[in-house]
Amino acid sequence: MDPVLLRALAVGGLVVLVLLVGWVWRRRDGRLRHSDAVGHQQRTARLHGDHLAAVGLDLTDAEAGAVLLGSPTCAPCDTVKQVLGDLAQERDRFRWVYADAGEHLRIAEEHRVLRVPTLFVVAPDGRIVARTSGVPRHDDLRRVLEDLGTAA
Amino acid sequence: MTQDLVRDADGGLVIDVRGPRFGAAITSTVLGAALIVQGPVGIGLVAWQWLAFAIATFAGLAWSPYGRLFRSVKRRFDLGAPPATEPEGPPRFAQFCGFAVASVALVLFAVGATTAAWIAVAVVLTLSLLLALTGLCVGCEVYLVGERLRARVGAADGGEA
Repeated sequence: MDPVLLRALAVGGLVVLVLLVGWVWRRRDGRLRHSDAVGHQQRTARLHGDHLAAVGLDLTDAEAGAVLLGSPTCAPCDTVKQVLGDLAQERDRFRWVYADAGEHLRIAEEHRVLRVPTLFVVAPDGRIVARTSGVPRHDDLRRVLEDLGTAA
Repeated sequence: MTQDLVRDADGGLVIDVRGPRFGAAITSTVLGAALIVQGPVGIGLVAWQWLAFAIATFAGLAWSPYGRLFRSVKRRFDLGAPPATEPEGPPRFAQFCGFAVASVALVLFAVGATTAAWIAVAVVLTLSLLLALTGLCVGCEVYLVGERLRARVGAADGGEA
């Protein structure tokens, strides 16, 4: 076969492969995982006090909190910040902080964070109620926060 | 030409989110064509793309040739206001990554390792296709891997992890 045609087919194949990867990725991105799926076996996952202090999240008088792990060159992180900012305006007892994942590798390793943006939604006692990787949907997060607000 | 640029409070450039994907589509076309035709024309296309990456990385996205093209297309066809804007930092970093791998490809061409050079070009093509076709943030996926490696290397050197 003509080598140019062969290479054109290879480039076309790459395009198809990238489209497939993108489709799978978009289906998984931002999906909310609840605590039963987050907890490692029987032990309930929580963000410990020293970790919360390290990222500067104060949950005194809060009904819910969130820690967003991001990176300086991460555009979706800014989108998640906007989502959190919107939700914080709706609920005044919701506190959230942004932290550079690279500066908090111990949290990333303990909770097996593989990519940014990763978001942890926590109860006032630090228990992880839900987590997401990628850009979460407003409504998904709002529902989690409403449940926490009812429990508080 | 630059009067329609927008800057944030710190003087950082703010860009239309559609710009990087438009640019990635052109990058993909240039590099895809280069891979198909190969030979001197192909290498010339890779060299042009390297130059485009270099300008965007070192002079800033305001000077990026594809960014300028996007702005004139926007005016010509009246594409309307940006659906959203973003700081130029992340896409500029992506341009730097493209610049780095494209540089490797050109060095490999120079030393005669043609096959390896085309593999490097294919890597850049894959990354720009990912951006153009899916909008996936590759930098986000590899950031923590890189930071962990850096911490480990730092610890091995006896420095602070």
